Amino acid sequence: MRIFRIKVAAILIALVALVGGPFIGTAVAAGKIALVTDVGGRGDLSFNDMGFKGADEAAAEFGLELVSIQSTSANDYLPNLQMAAKSGDFDIIIGVGFLLADAMAEVADQHPDQKFAIIDVTWLGKPNLMEVGYEENKGSALVGALGAMVAAHYGYDKIGAVLGIEIPVLYKFEAGYRFGMHWGNAKYAAVTGKKADVGLLYKYTGTFDDIAQGKIATEAMLAQGAGLIYNVAGPLGIGDLEAITEHLEAKGKTAGPPFMIGVDANQDWMGDGERVLASMMKRVDFGVYQAVEAVVNGTFEGGVQVLGPNNGGIKMSGEAELADFITFGINGGKITESDRGRITDNWLAMRSAVPSWIWDAVDELSAKIGSGEVEVPCVWCADSIDQIRADWPDNVD
Amino acid sequence: MGSKYRFRSLNKYLNPINESLLAGAIGLAIGAIIMVGLGYSPLDAYSSLLRGSFGSVYSWAESLANATPLILTALTFAIAMRGGLFNIGAEGQLYIGAIAAVSVSLIQISAPFHLIIALVAAMTAGALWSLPVAILKLTRGVHEVISTIMLNWIARFFAFYMIANVLMDPVRGEKTISIAETSRFARILPGSSLNYGIVVSALAVLLILFLLWRTTAGFELRAAGHSQESSNYAGISYKKQVLRAFLLGGVLAGLAGAVQVMGRPPTYALISGLPQMIDLGFDGIAVAMIGRNHPVGIIFAAIFFGGLMVGGRMMQMSAGVPLELVRIVEGAIILALAVPELKRIFYVVRKKFARKEQRGGN
Repeated sequence: MRIFRIKVAAILIALVALVGGPFIGTAVAAGKIALVTDVGGRGDLSFNDMGFKGADEAAAEFGLELVSIQSTSANDYLPNLQMAAKSGDFDIIIGVGFLLADAMAEVADQHPDQKFAIIDVTWLGKPNLMEVGYEENKGSALVGALGAMVAAHYGYDKIGAVLGIEIPVLYKFEAGYRFGMHWGNAKYAAVTGKKADVGLLYKYTGTFDDIAQGKIATEAMLAQGAGLIYNVAGPLGIGDLEAITEHLEAKGKTAGPPFMIGVDANQDWMGDGERVLASMMKRVDFGVYQAVEAVVNGTFEGGVQVLGPNNGGIKMSGEAELADFITFGINGGKITESDRGRITDNWLAMRSAVPSWIWDAVDELSAKIGSGEVEVPCVWCADSIDQIRADWPDNVD
Repeated sequence: MGSKYRFRSLNKYLNPINESLLAGAIGLAIGAIIMVGLGYSPLDAYSSLLRGSFGSVYSWAESLANATPLILTALTFAIAMRGGLFNIGAEGQLYIGAIAAVSVSLIQISAPFHLIIALVAAMTAGALWSLPVAILKLTRGVHEVISTIMLNWIARFFAFYMIANVLMDPVRGEKTISIAETSRFARILPGSSLNYGIVVSALAVLLILFLLWRTTAGFELRAAGHSQESSNYAGISYKKQVLRAFLLGGVLAGLAGAVQVMGRPPTYALISGLPQMIDLGFDGIAVAMIGRNHPVGIIFAAIFFGGLMVGGRMMQMSAGVPLELVRIVEGAIILALAVPELKRIFYVVRKKFARKEQRGGN
């Protein structure tokens, strides 16, 4: 009986503690921004890390508090955005990634006075939502041109692209890469006087997460004589790079060619800085920073903001960002601080082994694309991809 | 005599509650120690956890929305457990149920029938996916833990294949076609994730409650769970009992997948990699443990579990606790709550083995 009473008392205490909890207040700071990410949070070395980078920089620059809300599953997208909007604490709520699009559309409608931004989405059209889209076709043209010229320089006659699921968004990458390859061939011929006939091998692997598929596809392309592989499937790049590394090991080498081209983030530091020649960078950090800046300056408005080579939202990786991304790699536990020097040296050596006129040519193409002198297909090629494939052919027998 | 009897029967219900509350308190304490150790305020964290999970109508709605599929997958586990079987196949069966529900949206049917047909398809698919487990057990003596784990993986990759190659959305390759409007569960609270799918879960609880304690089939199942040998001796068919437990479990898990994809906004489609489905089956096992494998206990446990998931968001948002730590703390609480039931299961298993050893067989 006595034990029973003690148990009841314990229950009562537990209940009081539970019920009393919520009445203990929490301080609310002014000037807050919320960053809602998908299931990958900090440490994905790519999209989300870049989103955080932009938000961290903006928070530091404008003296704001950054609150990040990571999702545990796709079920969280809607309630995460909803709860942030309901709290009314945030000057802007930023969703990172197109997976949040459906949830964002709904929440933005329900909270017309709350400012929102979403990265990598361009089709929602809400007055209180800034949508940040990227011209991946133009960035892909740059690395396509680089790839063709570098392959020709090293005596390869093919370049490859390992893509994810065959969806219209990826056609942008394929179309730009094709166009760039042909531009690079022409440029190589014009500069060296030698005929360049680099052709394209491409494969839609049907996955964005099965790393083994990236390796298999890359192995096949290397066997057919590709000198450079463009990773257009996020994490599959790990598999692509593994295939390249093993291919080199078999020849007793560690440094490319063959090279990989990274995507979205600066992936140049992977492969010890000597196997990833460049990356087609999609500056997520830039988009996030711009959205916050617009709110701070009072210039925020709904609608699509296009980031491309002309405003720095899309660019080919350079030395300036390498250090930042090596830091990401260190924070992600992939490399250690002691690797930094070696990777940087390797990278500089890899870059300077490629003739400088090739880098100049890429800069030239970038400037021409920015000014509109060169037009890259395509913005949305669900209907026109077959025509684009015919206009800028594979060039492979 | 009478009052003492009454007291004892009250105690029968109070004891498990007592135990659970004590276990919960221990879990909270462990979580608090971890947070203090890492420099976070447990007071802030727990108050925001509670506010986030049950502090408003909206957060209640979200907690209930999370509970909806968990109730069903927990019932899958609990029914088998009541019959002395260890069914961890809900995970795979729910993928298959969801795939079946989406497939029904390939055809157009008018409003109420579309939803009903989708549910029936999901239940059938779940049961069919569960059938090999029962058959393998009955004919080849394959332990259900082995076969369900294998079938879970097969279901997962089968679902991946279907999402990418058969049911894909032609414009957005990361997901399947959306569930037709005529086949969706309407929302109960606008803006929240709570939908009428929860009615399906509630009905399932009532049905299982009735089945287990008011029908012969339920009695036989429970008898077999208590003692396989005496139930055999009493003439209860082992075969029938195994089939019942697994098929019914498959039906419930299939429903869980259907309810999740047909009711949970905003996408109403399966996304490549199954991010809205993964772990619902395994979380259901934890829910069943916390709920003592009793349908009523499962309701409370599922709402509690669902609330933890919702409240974790508030812990991130207002207490600044990173998601990884939120999950560690949640894990500590869940583990502590599952200990009493785990203890009981281990006891039963040990007894079983001890008896087998005595008989000298294996």
